This record gives sequence, structure tokens and C-alpha cells, in this order.
Amino acid sequence: MESESPVETKKSKSKTPKKAKESILKQKSPAEFFAENKNIAGFDNPGKCLYTTVREFVENALDSAESISELPMIEITIEEIVKSKFNSMIGLVDRERIDEALYDDYETAKAREKRLAKEAKAQEIQAKNAALGKKVKEHAVSKGAKSRGEASFYRVTCKDNGRGMPHDDIPNMFGRVLSGTKYGLKQTRGKFGLGAKMALIWSKMSTGLPIDISSSMRGQNYISFCRLDIDIHRNVPHIHLHEKRDNKDKWHGAEIQVVIEGNWTTYRSKILHYMRQMAVITPYSQFLFKFVSDTPDKNVTIKFARRTDVMPPVPVETKHHPSSVDILLIKRLIAETSKQNLLQFLQHEFVNIGKPLADRLIGEMGPEFSPKMAVKSLTDQQIVRIHQLFRQAKFDDPSGDCLSPAGEYNLRLGIIKELHPDMVATYSGSAQVFEGHPFIVEAGVSVGGKDVKQGLNIFRFANRIPLLFEQGGDVVTRTALKRISWNNYKINQTQDKIGVFVSIVSTKIPFKGTGKEYIGDDISEIATAVKSAIQQCCIQLKSKIVKKMQAREQQERKRNLSKYIPDATNAVYDVLKEMAKSNSSKKKRYEEGDADILRKVSDHLITKETLTEKLTQHVEKVDYEMALEYATQTGVREEPREDIYLQSLDGKGNFSDFHSPIFVFRLFL
Amino acid sequence: MADKKKRRRPDSDSDSASQPFKNLLKPDEQILQILESFTSSLSSSSTSKPLTLADLALSTTCREVSDLSLSSVQSVIESLVLQLTHQILSGQGFSFTVPSRSSSNQLYVPELDRIVLKDKSTVRPFSHISSVRKTTITAKILSLVHQLCLKNIHVTKRDLFYTDVKLFQDQIQSDAVLDDVSCMLGCTRSSLNVIAAEKGVVVGRLIFSDNGDMIDCTKMGMGGKAIPPNIDRVGDMQSDALFILLVEKDAAYIRLAEDRFYNRFPCIIVTAKGQPDVATRLFLRKMKMELKLPVLALVDSDPYGLKILSVYGCGSKNMSYDSANLTTPDIKWLGIRPSDLDKYKIPEQCRLPMTEQDIKTGKDLLEEDFVKKNPGWVEELNLMVKTKQKAEIQALSSFGFQYLSEVYLPLKLQQQDWL
Repeated sequence: MESESPVETKKSKSKTPKKAKESILKQKSPAEFFAENKNIAGFDNPGKCLYTTVREFVENALDSAESISELPMIEITIEEIVKSKFNSMIGLVDRERIDEALYDDYETAKAREKRLAKEAKAQEIQAKNAALGKKVKEHAVSKGAKSRGEASFYRVTCKDNGRGMPHDDIPNMFGRVLSGTKYGLKQTRGKFGLGAKMALIWSKMSTGLPIDISSSMRGQNYISFCRLDIDIHRNVPHIHLHEKRDNKDKWHGAEIQVVIEGNWTTYRSKILHYMRQMAVITPYSQFLFKFVSDTPDKNVTIKFARRTDVMPPVPVETKHHPSSVDILLIKRLIAETSKQNLLQFLQHEFVNIGKPLADRLIGEMGPEFSPKMAVKSLTDQQIVRIHQLFRQAKFDDPSGDCLSPAGEYNLRLGIIKELHPDMVATYSGSAQVFEGHPFIVEAGVSVGGKDVKQGLNIFRFANRIPLLFEQGGDVVTRTALKRISWNNYKINQTQDKIGVFVSIVSTKIPFKGTGKEYIGDDISEIATAVKSAIQQCCIQLKSKIVKKMQAREQQERKRNLSKYIPDATNAVYDVLKEMAKSNSSKKKRYEEGDADILRKVSDHLITKETLTEKLTQHVEKVDYEMALEYATQTGVREEPREDIYLQSLDGKGNFSDFHSPIFVFRLFL
Repeated sequence: MADKKKRRRPDSDSDSASQPFKNLLKPDEQILQILESFTSSLSSSSTSKPLTLADLALSTTCREVSDLSLSSVQSVIESLVLQLTHQILSGQGFSFTVPSRSSSNQLYVPELDRIVLKDKSTVRPFSHISSVRKTTITAKILSLVHQLCLKNIHVTKRDLFYTDVKLFQDQIQSDAVLDDVSCMLGCTRSSLNVIAAEKGVVVGRLIFSDNGDMIDCTKMGMGGKAIPPNIDRVGDMQSDALFILLVEKDAAYIRLAEDRFYNRFPCIIVTAKGQPDVATRLFLRKMKMELKLPVLALVDSDPYGLKILSVYGCGSKNMSYDSANLTTPDIKWLGIRPSDLDKYKIPEQCRLPMTEQDIKTGKDLLEEDFVKKNPGWVEELNLMVKTKQKAEIQALSSFGFQYLSEVYLPLKLQQQDWL
């Protein structure tokens, strides 16, 4: 992330030279760069922009609340603004069309004829169907495709209970791209550290409206309010209003409001999926999601309730592992270090280098290196030598202590809370390493549940944020689809409702593609870890499934056995009847005991019914015995119990108590 | 039958360029001489009586079935059913004791050169959820076979299946239980009067009687005579052939039959069109035993070709209880052998790469005793697994459709190139 410095900006500029008469050397600000390449930050089209804005706000809010160990409580509201309202907001008068033919959606006479004919035909068919008593399909009201320029606008508001921001820092935190608090080596949610800034750039590009920020920090008796937009060319904030207001409720946190162009219709399901998956991975937070529009039946309000108050620890910043650094990074570390000599530098600026190892490393570097040499005096060649040695030498793997996985407990609760599965198993792997960065894979597998489709449902998380796009190439998808033989675990890959949840956390997630939306399948360390984590879950599930199948077998044994009684007795009786015939006609001689039976068959003393009855009695006896045995073997089975979680209520509110000798029933009014 | 009319092929020199090794061929008379001396040496040496399980003192630990007459099959079934009735009436339910046909219960006996069944049995109680289905099917099959015995008729396996489709569900299940039943009763499957549909065909220098009708297999047209499903109506075999040619594939069989290969080199050509059925195996054994002719096998150069060869030779695991009647000893592997691919310069485009599964099957075969006993086979199979190439008999067609019958086989016979 650190490398997204102006260096890159310049480079991209030189790549796209304009066909100018004379090439003038232009400087481009980072804000300009991102405005032009907004797709790399997930702002591809209006729909995706709406989605990405929501997720950036939500993730910032979570980070903010977690950083002060406050259980997150986040409200997101998307308000649809129709064009006329939008125009009045910006003080533009709605103009009637005068020259109809000027517009893109103008219908020529020929096109109208065609359309009318089509509609008439459709109506005719519908009438026919209705006459025939067929189920009339709701004929979609042919709403014309949204034409160019018919944009929809949305006001996105996100309110949290997090740390808040210092009054004076607010303009820079929003109005300057590539300035931020999240640079450093630790597990972070943000993908680019752009956060809300991209949303601001997008709002400026699509609506021209500024962003409103309210914020208050813990114990602060005022609320900072700031309305600003960004000067894209100079990459500096442009402040409209910056003032302190009263904080009566002792609120702390931040509320951000932005008006952007978007597309709710196409990205509705993505946004809702995102919220749901976020609720799975953070069961300790509470989300209130609202969509408000002028047509009330389109409105959505979903509350994702809190299920636990156990939060994963805040990820700590860690030092670099020697095998993960590059030359540029070494140079930067040298520039920033407070240590004087090489030995101290190696020992303190990297993990897993102790003093003895540092000594050995310096000895190995060559004669021109010494432990006491000033670290700032290293030449470029010497730094390259250090880098080479770092690449080749063997170091202990970094520990996973700096990581903050969701935790098996939270993952499990999240799955139960949002999917209500019949069965769930979770597993948390130990920390492993890829290119000097530690990573932890956690997995959960669920079977059954509500709102789950048949087959595999894959939920991917990277650093505790859901990944929704580019599922096909992802390591999790491929592993679950190709490398797990679900049959072995008594799970039917096509029939059962399977939920696969994999959360990977790392100080650096090896994303693929520009959108940072998936993790490639080519890293064998991660692929193996993912596979084994899923398998571990499956092994746990298998025993549960087998138990369930046994229980079902118990219940259905009698029925399954009895089903075959008629066939079996028929077969035996048919032979007996023939034998009885030949016995009575003295064709064949039988021994006394057998002849006795055959005589009884001839005399209808032994009939098919006799055999059936005897066999039924036997089946009943066996069933009883086996049920008894099963019960003694399994004992009184206890499902592992889940702690129930009761939401704490606000102290205030009217209630009346109903007292009984053993409990009190409190009814809130 | 000795219809000596030979179809002379136009002999032109231009042929030899496209048909390599043709110039190595000696005149047919010399090849015939070589064959005659081989056949006579074989028939004189193989007069000794074949070994049985009893000779090896294995009859207690191994299980074998024998041909039983209809009435004895009937009485075995009847006593079994009476036993069941006693069990049911005493309120114990009922159960069958069925010899296990799983691969762990199979034994290859090198002295006999075939697979036999060991004596392990499994109990199939009615009142157990895992065996209730099979037990019911077994009872049903027993009662059906009992009917066949009373009426003295033959039915096919398909007929049997269709008597109660609802219970059997698919034919594989009724077929498997049928084998269980014959194993349990200690009789061959043919003794149950249940036959499989005709699959194998025979053509060439053979005359035999089928249900009293004399059949001359040189006069059966191009397709040859279908091998009768019940061997007990076959008899009076006569032949002036020098050998029996066992062909894996229908395509190669048709080629040889149309070219009247058996007229150029007196022989009997047999194929079961893939995996051999019981009738073809019984028929081959009968020919071998009565006519005392060498059997030469022409199969694909892949693991399955060898597997089919082994089924003719040592028996299949599924039917090992009757291997004494079903196997034909001393089958020679004529071709196409992995070493032939290079020897006959079969072009690359006609060879196929072996799949993972093929290679695995090949390696598994190397572990089998019936392969190990023949060092030549082991060598060929090792070569196949190493080169990872396979070829069908049809690969020879790359030198012309008649290369098989006009060059390859005669040359093989001339060189006595079999293992």
C-alpha cells in the first residue's frame, strides 16, 4: 500500500501520452489519478459505486469501533433521490422538453407503430390465456430501459459509535487522497486505504455535492461538523463549513453523508449479500440497514442483531519479516530507523532476527560489513547485498500473534445467527506463512438452513471482510468445488444445502486482479490450508451426519423390514405349495418332520398368513431389541448447548413487573 | 467340411512397400508345417488328467460347484426352503448363509492356474436393515428357480429380472443374487436353467451338434454361428483345425471371417465381443478339452486386453466358484503385445496414450498372481506401463484393412511368436 505514492501516478501518466502537438510535462495529483482510474478501487459503474461506497463506510465504521474496543453499532441508510428532487437540491429548475426529437429516448413514428403492434399482440395472448383458464403470468409492465442521462441519485448515510475524529484532522482525513492512518504492516480491512475518499471523489464526479461529516470523540462535549469537497487537481480539501456543535447525548463516533449517483436495482442483491455476510463474520456488531425511496413497497429495513459481545482483539502492528521485504522497503526502514548501527537495525526493525542471528548475517554479508557500522551510511550496493541475503537465508516463520482472526466461536455464531443451519462445524487453522507474511485460515461448513440454495454456497472473507465478486477463480471456490470429495463425508454436493465459509486473515492478502476481489488459486500454501480447514469441518460434520442417519434408520427400521415381509413369505410359500402338491400326490418322499409341515400346508393349517404373522412378530421383536440396544449405547444424547445471548436494554423505559414466587416477569411498554 | 477352396490374393510387389514385413513371409505350406508340428506336440503332451482341488488337498478350504441335475437342484432348494419354514415358524425370522464372493475370499492356485473361492461365508439375516433386501431377493430367486425345475424349461437372466421388476429394481441386482444362489446351492449357473443372451460367435473349421442339429461353422455365412447359451445341448465336436484363434473384438473377428482366414490356415475363430460371457467360456473350454487344440489369443495391447485374456484363462473373481468349468488352461498370448508396437512399426498416430486409470489397472495387474506366473507377460506389461502407450487391434489397419489377416497373423504364426 505504501508504494501507491506519486511515483506510480507519474508512471501512469507517462503511459498515456496525449497526442498533443508538443508534449508538456504535467503533474497529476493522486486524487486526479484515482478519479481517472476509479475502477481499481471498485468504482466501475454507478451500481458498483453505490456498493463500494456502502462497504467502505461500513468497514471504516467497524475499524473505528473496534479500535476503541466498543461493540460496533452501525446504521446505514440509502435514500433514493428522484431527479426532480435532486435538481431542487442543487437549485436547478426542471425544464420541459421542447424539441422531443433531440433526445436519445425519442420514439420515432415507426418505432411507435412497432411497439404498439407488439403490445396489442401481447394483450391478445394474455386474454386468450385468461379465457383458457391458464395461470396468467404477471405481465411485466414494460418499463423502458433507463435511458442515458436518466441517472438515479442516492444519499448514503453511515453512522457508527466508534472513535470519532479529532476536530482539526477531519478535512485532511477526507479531502486528501493517500493520507491516512492505516499505513503500516498490520492486518487491515481496507483494501487501498482510500476509504471514504473515493466516495467523495465519486460524489464530486457524479453530483458535485459535498460530503457532510459529523464526529465526536469519547468525552468530547461538542460535535464537529464539517461539510467539504475535494479539489481534485491539487489534492487538497475544500471546506464549506467546519464548526463545533452541541453534543447533548454524549455521542461518540462518526456520521458521514454523501450524495452519489448509483443503481439500486442492479446492485440491491449484492449490497444485501454484503451486509448479510458481514453480519456472519462480525456477530458482535449490530447493523441497521435501511433503504428509503418514494415508493414505499421498495423500501427495505433489515436489522442484523448482535449475537455476542466477544470481540476479536485489535490487530497489532508488527515489524517486517526479512524474507518479505524489498529493496525500496529496506531503504525506507533505514531512513526511518532510530537505531544507529547495522546490528541494532537488523535486530530491532525485523521480526525473527535475534542478536546471534544478526551477527551471523553480518558475517555472511562480506568483509565490508561490520556490526558497528552506521546503518545510514550503507551504499546502494550494500543494500542490494542485504536484500539478496534476506532472500536466501533461512529465518523462522513469523508468528501469527499479530493477526486477529474472526475466531472459531464468532464464525460459528455468525453462521448460526444468519443462516440457521441444521448442522455447523468450524475449524481454525494454525498460523502459516506465505512469502514472509503470516496467515490464518478459518473455515466453517454448514448444512441446511434458511435462505440457502441447494448445492454449494460459498462465503469468502479476507481480513474479515466479505468478498463478493470474481468468485470463479478464487482459491476457496475452486477448492470446495474440485478438491473436496463431499461424498466421503456423507454430504450430497448437489442436493444438500451446503454453506462453506472460509476466512483468511494476513498482514498481506495476496489478492489477484485489479479489484482485489479474489485470492488466486496458484499459491499452494494457501490452497493446502484452505483444503485442510474445510476437510476438518467436514470430518466433524460427518460424525454428526452419521449419527443422524443412524437415528433415522432406527425410526424407519421397522417400516423398512416390514416392507419386505410379503415378498419373502410369498417366495417361501410358493415353493411350499408346490412341495405340498407333490407330497400329497406321493411323487416325492420327505422326511417325517418336513412331511408334517407339508401336510399342514395342504390342509391350510399353515398358510401365507401364518408365515407373515410369524415374520412380523419376529421383526417387531428384533426392532424392540435393537431400539433398546441403541438407546443404551447412545445414552441420553445431549446436543452441545449454545449460550443464549440476551440483548441488554437501555435503562430507561416504562415497565411493569409481574411477581411470582419463583420469578419476575418484566413487561416493557 | 474340408472345403479347401482358397481365395487367392493378387500378389503384387507394390504391396510390400505399404505392408511392411510382407517379404518375410514364407509360403503358406511351410507355415502350415510349423503349425502342424506344434499342434501335434501339444496334443501328445497334454494327455494327463487335469488337477482338481481334491488332488491338492484344498477341497476343505476351497469351495467349488458342480453340475447338478434338475431334480437334485430341486431337492436342494426344497430342503433349504423347509429349513427356512422351520426357522420362521419358530419365530426366529430366517437367514441365508451365502458364500462370500468378495475379492478377499478369492485365491489363485498356481498349480491349477485359476482363481478359486475360499470357504468364507456371510450370514444374511432377514431382520437386519442392511441385508433384508438381498435376503428377500434371494428367497424370490430360489422360488423362481424352483419353478424352472418343476417345468423343466430354460429362461434368460432378463426373463428372471422381469418377473418382479419392482423388487429387483435393476438387473444387476437379480444377476448378482443369481450367482449367490448357485454358489449357495453348490451347482453351476447352467444347472439352474438360467442362461444369458447369446453373445459369443464362432466361425471356422468346426462341426458340432446343437440340440441335435449338426452345424458346420464354415457354412454359417460371414457372421458365423452364435454360441449356444446352454452348453449341455452342444456335442459331437469335430474339427480339422490346427488351432483356435480367440479374438477380443468384433471388428477383428469380422475381418478374419470375411477374409476366410480359416481356409488359409485351418482354425476356429471365436469372439465374445469384449468381456466373455459364461457360454463362450464354457464353449471354449469344451473345444479345448475335446479337440486338444492350442488356443491363441488376439487382444488389444492395453490392460483390459490382458484382463480379458485372464478371464478366459484363470476365471473371473465374480464366478470363481465355478472356475473349474469356466477356465481354459494354457492360452497363448499371440498379440497385439506391447513389444509388437515397435516390432511392427505401428505408426505413432495409431497409438494412444494410456490414461491414469489405464496405468493404474496395468500396475494392479502386475501384482496379480496369474500374471506373475508368466515371466513373458510380466515383461510385456512392464513395457506397456513404461511406454504408457496402448493400441487396439485396429491399429494394424493403418497398413491396409487386410494387413491383419494377410501379413500380421501369418507372420506371427510362422515365427511361433506367442507367450
